[in-house]
Amino acid sequence: MSGPLASGLTEFVERATELQVQVDAISLGAIFALMAVGIGLVFGVLRLINFAYGQLIMAGGFALAFASEQGWSVWVGIALCGVVVLALSLVMERAVFRPLRGQSPAVMLIATFAVAFLLQSIALLWFGPLGKTAASLATLNQTVSVGGVEIRKIAIVAIVAAAVCLGLLLLLLERTAVGLHMRAAAMDFHTARLVGVRANRVSGAAVLASGVLAAVVAVLLTVQFPTVTPTFALRETIIVLAGVVVGGMTRLVSATLGGFAIGYVSGVLGAALPTEQSQYLPSFVFGLVILVLLLRPEGLFARGPRTVERV
Amino acid sequence: MIGVRKTVLIAVAAVVAAGAAVAVSAAAPKQAQTVTIGWAYDGSGAMAPFDGPALATAKSYVATLNKRSKRFKLRIVTCDTQGNKPAVAKACAARLLGQGAQVIFTTCDVDFAAPVVQESINAGRLTIAPCIGTDQMGPKRFGPKGRLAFSFGNVAQDEGSAMAEYAWSRGWRSASLATDTVIVYFRNVVQAFEARWRQLGGTIVTKETYQSLGGNQASWQNVVTRLNARKADVIVTSTAAAFGAQVPIINGLRTLGNNTPILNSWAGDGNYWYPANPKVTNYYYVTYASAFGDDPNRLVNQMVQRNKDAIAKAGSTGGFITGPAAIDGLLVALRRTNGNTSGAALAAQMERFRNVPTLSGKVSFSRALHTVFGRQYRVMQVQQNQPKFLRLIKAKVVPKI
Repeated sequence: MSGPLASGLTEFVERATELQVQVDAISLGAIFALMAVGIGLVFGVLRLINFAYGQLIMAGGFALAFASEQGWSVWVGIALCGVVVLALSLVMERAVFRPLRGQSPAVMLIATFAVAFLLQSIALLWFGPLGKTAASLATLNQTVSVGGVEIRKIAIVAIVAAAVCLGLLLLLLERTAVGLHMRAAAMDFHTARLVGVRANRVSGAAVLASGVLAAVVAVLLTVQFPTVTPTFALRETIIVLAGVVVGGMTRLVSATLGGFAIGYVSGVLGAALPTEQSQYLPSFVFGLVILVLLLRPEGLFARGPRTVERV
Repeated sequence: MIGVRKTVLIAVAAVVAAGAAVAVSAAAPKQAQTVTIGWAYDGSGAMAPFDGPALATAKSYVATLNKRSKRFKLRIVTCDTQGNKPAVAKACAARLLGQGAQVIFTTCDVDFAAPVVQESINAGRLTIAPCIGTDQMGPKRFGPKGRLAFSFGNVAQDEGSAMAEYAWSRGWRSASLATDTVIVYFRNVVQAFEARWRQLGGTIVTKETYQSLGGNQASWQNVVTRLNARKADVIVTSTAAAFGAQVPIINGLRTLGNNTPILNSWAGDGNYWYPANPKVTNYYYVTYASAFGDDPNRLVNQMVQRNKDAIAKAGSTGGFITGPAAIDGLLVALRRTNGNTSGAALAAQMERFRNVPTLSGKVSFSRALHTVFGRQYRVMQVQQNQPKFLRLIKAKVVPKI
């Protein structure tokens, strides 16, 4: 390899392997993984790609911003965020997802698009285009020194929060009756209903669990990006949806890994690319997405064609 | 004899009649000419904090002028481009022209404004942006028909130069540059800063780039990390909080304990984005006018007082002055054309503007440059979320970029 190319590559690898870059990338991957689980859970049970997932996070962000504007304590803000996101999730499930459950995937997808834009427009009317600033947990942006490297507390918190949430979700799915019902419904909704699984309960539980994850993501994202606008988290949702497809939509684990992978790759590329090329980051990321889909259309982490559990 | 008398009588009668007609016409008040302005503004997107105040104050300014003016009455009809969506913006222009707009006003960024400008200049109308900040609002971008396009904003080269001269006057000698690549104006301001900064003898520590609107948020954190890694006397950028990256970058630096002064252009104006924690501190920007009641111009402060709510609602940027300033300029052009509203006639007069007084200061245009240069900027400082006017500055040199 000739000089400039070799030195460029060496610089790229050196940057990409820095501890700080790795921690930041894992942190972003963790947040994206949480979003991927939220999206994958609903898809697994309802066969519904919830495009409005980002708007749940946006609503949580506005709740946090509202609380910090009122001068309320951090914990009140987080509680409000949880209440708003869960209430909205339930309304969404009851008013849109449940009545449309028997419809084709295309109808349901368009319905979630409609919900997404409706919520965005409501936010625009209520909060205006300038949005609000949520800064209640800003201290988590401060750094701690780990092995001589300054790492933001939020990076560590995001990784821990994601691990805890995924662990709890696993417990829910493996150790509880409702979890068992969700898994059964994910395999075959019709048969599960025939053997006594209550469809509404399962669907509600999936949307609720997905909402809890959206609230956690709202808290984590607003620490790093405190300006909450009506389009908050929309871009992340699109990237995570791509990650879910890349990972493999057939299983919750593969979808989660896909979400994590796209977040991690975005983080590493963002730091390793020369600064003047950072604007091309989405092109690199989505170029990789196309490449992966061409090579493994079933998903990077999907298993073979045999029957698998979707959640 | 009878014939002569008859002729004299007829002549006298004619003179009396003519005199009466003249007297009647002189006594009757001349009807004021109504000129319709079609204003395509962004009411919901990233340009809303800039378009909003300009339009709000222009409306109240026009209402005041209309009460006083005997010659021209201005009527403003508006259309919201809904985030400057190209199709909506184009439809807005067509609608405003259909409503009889004789002059079109457009949004404050040349890229976003292009659909409206194109429609308007194709229809032969004078097209004005209250605050586009590049030299592209004119023939440079829109070709020969661009002669009809003007901006009452500051040309970015001038603004970046003023920023450099201010930074130099503060004794800062090394600068880190962070360029937001999303619009021409942002890029040009930082380029101009660099050009003037180097002329003055300043050093550049590092040059970072990022994309705010539609950009990858992860890369903003990387910019913070890179800026924080290199010590400079000042960090210079040109971006707007409404575009998304400004708050994460400033917050990111401050929470890392980096208190280096940050210098922004007019884009960074307004208090709508101040976070409660950490508070905005050691932050500077240049702007048209202070929206906080401490402007050195008394008339500006009166305008702020009169439009307090509208300005606050739109984020308290200095953009509020650009609407009335553009109205001032339009009225001068109308007077000079004796009320001829043809785009070509008005544009020809505007190209002759040399130090025309407006509410935002003296305005000059030329055949080549249809955006204002040589304006006095207000340097603002924010400490603990409290903005205050520091001083005026006028660029001594407009560097080539």
